[in-house]
Amino acid sequence: MKFLYNIGRYFAMLGKVFSKPEKTRLYIRQLFYEIESLGIDSVGIIIVLSLFVGGIMTIQYAYSMSNPIYPVELIGLGTRDTLLLEFSSTIMALIMAGKIGSNITSEIGSMKVTEQIDSLEIMGVNSASYLILPKIIAVVFIFPFLYVLSVFFGLIGGLITGPAVGVITMPDYISGIIWLFEPYYVTFSIIKSLFFGFIIASVPAYFGYYVQGGALEVGKASTKAVVNTNILILLTDLILTRLLLT
Amino acid sequence: MIETRNISKSFGGQQVLKNVTTAFQKGKTNLIIGRSGSGKTVLLKCILGLHEVDEGEIFYDGRDFTKMNEKSRKKLRQEIGMVFQGGALFDSLTVEENVQFPLDFFTTQTPKEKEERVNFCLEHVNISNANNLYPSEISGGMQKRVAIARAIALNPRYLFCDEPNSGLDPETATVIDKLIQEITKEFNITTIINTHDMNSVIEIGESVLFISNGEKCWEGTKDEILKTNNKTLNEFIFANKLYAKLKESS
Repeated sequence: MKFLYNIGRYFAMLGKVFSKPEKTRLYIRQLFYEIESLGIDSVGIIIVLSLFVGGIMTIQYAYSMSNPIYPVELIGLGTRDTLLLEFSSTIMALIMAGKIGSNITSEIGSMKVTEQIDSLEIMGVNSASYLILPKIIAVVFIFPFLYVLSVFFGLIGGLITGPAVGVITMPDYISGIIWLFEPYYVTFSIIKSLFFGFIIASVPAYFGYYVQGGALEVGKASTKAVVNTNILILLTDLILTRLLLT
Repeated sequence: MIETRNISKSFGGQQVLKNVTTAFQKGKTNLIIGRSGSGKTVLLKCILGLHEVDEGEIFYDGRDFTKMNEKSRKKLRQEIGMVFQGGALFDSLTVEENVQFPLDFFTTQTPKEKEERVNFCLEHVNISNANNLYPSEISGGMQKRVAIARAIALNPRYLFCDEPNSGLDPETATVIDKLIQEITKEFNITTIINTHDMNSVIEIGESVLFISNGEKCWEGTKDEILKTNNKTLNEFIFANKLYAKLKESS
């Protein structure tokens, strides 16, 4: 019953979020701020994670394809397709749910418990729209770029690590990552990242917006938000993979 | 003037407000007092529309707030200034940006006009050289004063204060009380202050409403409060020995 109540309240909140902004100029200003704080500030962690994971995957593929029956290009191909199809979209979204999601819940939750949201409402500002809409647009907008960045640096990670540890030569790796390239994988993952961006911004915002109590409850809400966001990301991944890739 | 007529409110089957009828006069500091959990904050939030009343009516200068649609309420709220218990300043904005926020949203003033208005409001609450500081960089008393400056930025007709001097030392609390009273007189606005601070009652209680168990228990002025025979009110006020002695001497 509580589950249905939360779903209903989530969609009611989205109704408020997507209503006409009072002053578009202020929303745009807020949007640029959110793109910077939620998107640009995540670039560093995306690069570091992707470099490492790309390197690790290359070593693991090299290990599992050590049989001479497999063409050596499969190492690069496997790394590329894993990055394109799953890691840079889904796994990166799960990681970002922790970083961006908890940030959104704690920011909005703190505003809620310190009556800043009541203050906006009393002024006549649509608080849900003013606080949440720019975050949703910013994350949905930035996520495909983060995906592309993650794929690029993941491949670079493999390119550096593979030859460095001696499991593959640079020309073999490069010919592997361009071998049998399927452009639709990119389209598919960009579609996924748009959905994930929406989930990562809106679900934690919901948990923050309706938090009640004090700092302890804000912390609990952040945890709940990340858990629920992760489950929703995986569920959406499953549905989209079934719909778009089979 | 703000009037409430027989307003009631329940939460989960528990009645928190019971048929409260009262009037808050223009140009006066109207205080709502009562014990913690007596229903005074719920009354304030009902008047503001943050809680919907179950029964009864609320009038802002004759305009029935309970029957207004969301659009009309939004418009009316631009005539309201609110000072929250904790100040409720926006953490990510500077003092100046906080005061300017309602001007950005609801006026078409030029940047120069906004700057003048912000400085006027900050001067009124005796704040200088703090325009570029963030709320976390100023004291609690200053935060309250900035909150008052923000509340008066749009020239409100109604000012609401929820325990404006809680957490402040007695001297700063008196300064805040006096400031609210001065603003009320100067701009001739209807001010409602929610408090359980007896110093505020004695200092600025031009009209006092005592709420007990969600009901209107007593109404009067600060002078009448010391002479009342209302048992519940006396228990509330004279729990403090200082005020008990004050009553004896009066």
